[in-house]
Amino acid sequence: MSKIYIRHIVLKLLFALALLLIFVSSPLSAAEEVTAIRGGDLYTITGGIIKNGTILIKEGKILDIGQNIEIPEKAEVINARGKVVMPGLVGIGAELGIISYPNITKIADSLDPFDFSVSLALASGITTAMVSTGQPSGSSPIGGVTAIIKSSYGDLDQMMVRESVVQPVMISNRNWLQKTTFKQNLRKAQNYLRKLTESQQARDGNKAAEPKKPSGLDAYFRLLRREVPAVVSASTTGDILAALEFVDEFGIRMVLANADEAWIVAEEIAKRDVRVVITPRQKRRPNEDISGPSGSTMENAAILKKAGVKFAIIPTSTSFETWGVVGRDMMALPMEAAFAVSGGLDEQTALEAITITAAEIIGVADRLGSLQVGKDADIIILDGHPFHHKTFVETTLINGKVMYEKTKSLYFSHITHDK
Amino acid sequence: MRKIRHYVLLCIFFGGLSVCVGAEEIIAIKADRIDTVTSGVIENGIIVISDGRIKAIGNDVEIPDVAEVIDVSDKTIFPGLVNPSSRIGLSSTARGGPASNPHYRVIDELYPHQDQYKHVLGAGFTTIGLLPGERGFVRYYPGYGYWPSGGPPITGITGQGAIVRPTGKNPGEMIIVESGFVMIHFQANDKVKNVITSALDSAKGKMSSKDPKVRPLVLALQGKLPTFVLCNSPGEILHLVKLLEPYNKMKLVLVEGNETYRVTEELVKRKIPVVLPAQIEFERNTRNRINVPRMLAEAEIKIALRPEFDSVAGHEDFLRKMAELVKSGLNREIAKKAMTIHPAEMLGVDYRLGSLNVGKDANLMILSGDPLDIGTKIEKVMIEGKIVHEAPLGETVDE
Repeated sequence: MSKIYIRHIVLKLLFALALLLIFVSSPLSAAEEVTAIRGGDLYTITGGIIKNGTILIKEGKILDIGQNIEIPEKAEVINARGKVVMPGLVGIGAELGIISYPNITKIADSLDPFDFSVSLALASGITTAMVSTGQPSGSSPIGGVTAIIKSSYGDLDQMMVRESVVQPVMISNRNWLQKTTFKQNLRKAQNYLRKLTESQQARDGNKAAEPKKPSGLDAYFRLLRREVPAVVSASTTGDILAALEFVDEFGIRMVLANADEAWIVAEEIAKRDVRVVITPRQKRRPNEDISGPSGSTMENAAILKKAGVKFAIIPTSTSFETWGVVGRDMMALPMEAAFAVSGGLDEQTALEAITITAAEIIGVADRLGSLQVGKDADIIILDGHPFHHKTFVETTLINGKVMYEKTKSLYFSHITHDK
Repeated sequence: MRKIRHYVLLCIFFGGLSVCVGAEEIIAIKADRIDTVTSGVIENGIIVISDGRIKAIGNDVEIPDVAEVIDVSDKTIFPGLVNPSSRIGLSSTARGGPASNPHYRVIDELYPHQDQYKHVLGAGFTTIGLLPGERGFVRYYPGYGYWPSGGPPITGITGQGAIVRPTGKNPGEMIIVESGFVMIHFQANDKVKNVITSALDSAKGKMSSKDPKVRPLVLALQGKLPTFVLCNSPGEILHLVKLLEPYNKMKLVLVEGNETYRVTEELVKRKIPVVLPAQIEFERNTRNRINVPRMLAEAEIKIALRPEFDSVAGHEDFLRKMAELVKSGLNREIAKKAMTIHPAEMLGVDYRLGSLNVGKDANLMILSGDPLDIGTKIEKVMIEGKIVHEAPLGETVDE
């Protein structure tokens, strides 16, 4: 009896030991897994170009980067000799990865990692996108929810980066009602916040009389506390200046989208530290009814740069297509930036406009947008300069994992060009 | 046990009708081949049927003297087909949602007096799982994404499905199980998710409740009732699996989903069976043909196949489509199971349906040959020992 009992205990102990070994060893072995990208020209964006450099990746982050880096023996090596290695591109407003049901209020609940556009984003080197859904209703200028997602095809858990990072606001000279509502609500919210601070200060001294919180103004509070920027579509000078009034009066952060005429008021934008999203190829006729300059110019980006305005670049269409007018959609993001270069912008700033500056505008530059130690290993390997029209994305990594290889792509593997 | 008692009750209630009358006779069928589906093929076999059940089956079975002998010694016997997810004979219901209506029962809208059921029977289907809620066809249209056929579907928990025979003069004669499964029409958005989880959570707190709005969910949570989930896109399947992870006793069955093959790993890990249309699909945005049932079967996911179209023509076309799937690589044995015992298991009625074994209902087809040969004709269909369909003269392939 006791013999059996002892054997029982021994068996149990052995089993426990085995379990312990499994638990202890597995995270260690996982931690040792290092991926190395060797031999490419590393376009770090924030630290120049490292010729024939190496990137080490561990646990989805960039572990090390430079020219004389020793690759651990067990590392999985990706050979990038003669290739361009750069951070994954950031597509502001890209349409991908959401199952588009009406009235979505939480994007995380409706992400679609198998969306066709997600696979096209990977193929075009876009690893991060600011997506939005929903529209403002009635006279409300506040509308839609936004999120920053990664194009991690098939992997739902890796998709979401951050939710509600910017606040889309619909105001324009064409719709006075929404603009008026926006201003009145901002004042109401500001009033409440001021009273709240006063009451809190009073409480420290003596009596407390907390003001009643007005309902439905949460978005305005977040704007006034500068937690998120307001994204305002403002293509004309008039719309831009009208939007800037709100920065002056309420001190909110702001991003101007579709800013075709930003070049005319570049100094005004720079003064207020407002960010801009532009589309260099967007055409707008000069308005002959007004005096002074108007309309679009291919020099927009270059002029903004000279004035010290930070801007991101997006193509004319924010969807992903394998049909239609080629080169106008999100798949041609680097081409759009190249067009700004032909308008006088330097290449470095143009690259920044589709990587680090775009990441900064949507509030994720701490993790994305450049090749730096500690950042997410969202990396693309190209077969040429990013601004060359023949260049293809060969490999896309998200969180250190290869998500796309052109040689295995159903849609692009057959496309080759003469050398 | 409960279900058997249920059945007995049904027999008593509708005792004067065909089911029990036929049951008193003893029938013996002599056939060339009997495909039992679960225990192999019996050559030159005999089935003895009494009380509508299979009493004996095999080569050297003694035929009782009183038995009526059906001599089809050049024919093949195959179990009656089971379609686990259909809305045949039902009209489309009110739309809206998301909402939780577990008390809604599809049998309340059952209308037996329809020609459709005769044709479905003639196509070899002896058992149908009827879905509550909107027509269960959500399909992928290239360039448009996923769209339900005709208007937005009702979403959330849409009621209790029933298991019926496509024959009978009134609902009572048709019904095999009144409440066969709980139905969820899933969509990956916060509102639908909230409706589902809050209904399940509140049922969790009332496990002994008799409330018709709670009871089905309690049974589903305990795994006593299967839960059918309409969830088409692979991305939504990931959301669904994540959402229902805390309710791990639920017996989930995925309905539809021609892109399910993209999430085979998740389905294998959680042992979730899938109901698929029997058809060759196009890979998204291409003209590449893919055999999704084969892909899932090879990944060792349990599949049931249903007609591509939920119409009479769809049902009549079913065996031909199955033959096509087998021709392009679906394992023949799995194909046979996918139209009989697998759907019966998913519906929780495999103890009495889905294969030819002693004790099971005598639901079978008399065929001119192998069910998966395109030239094969269905000559007779039997439900619980009673011939319910005979191919009209001139449609048989005798001589």
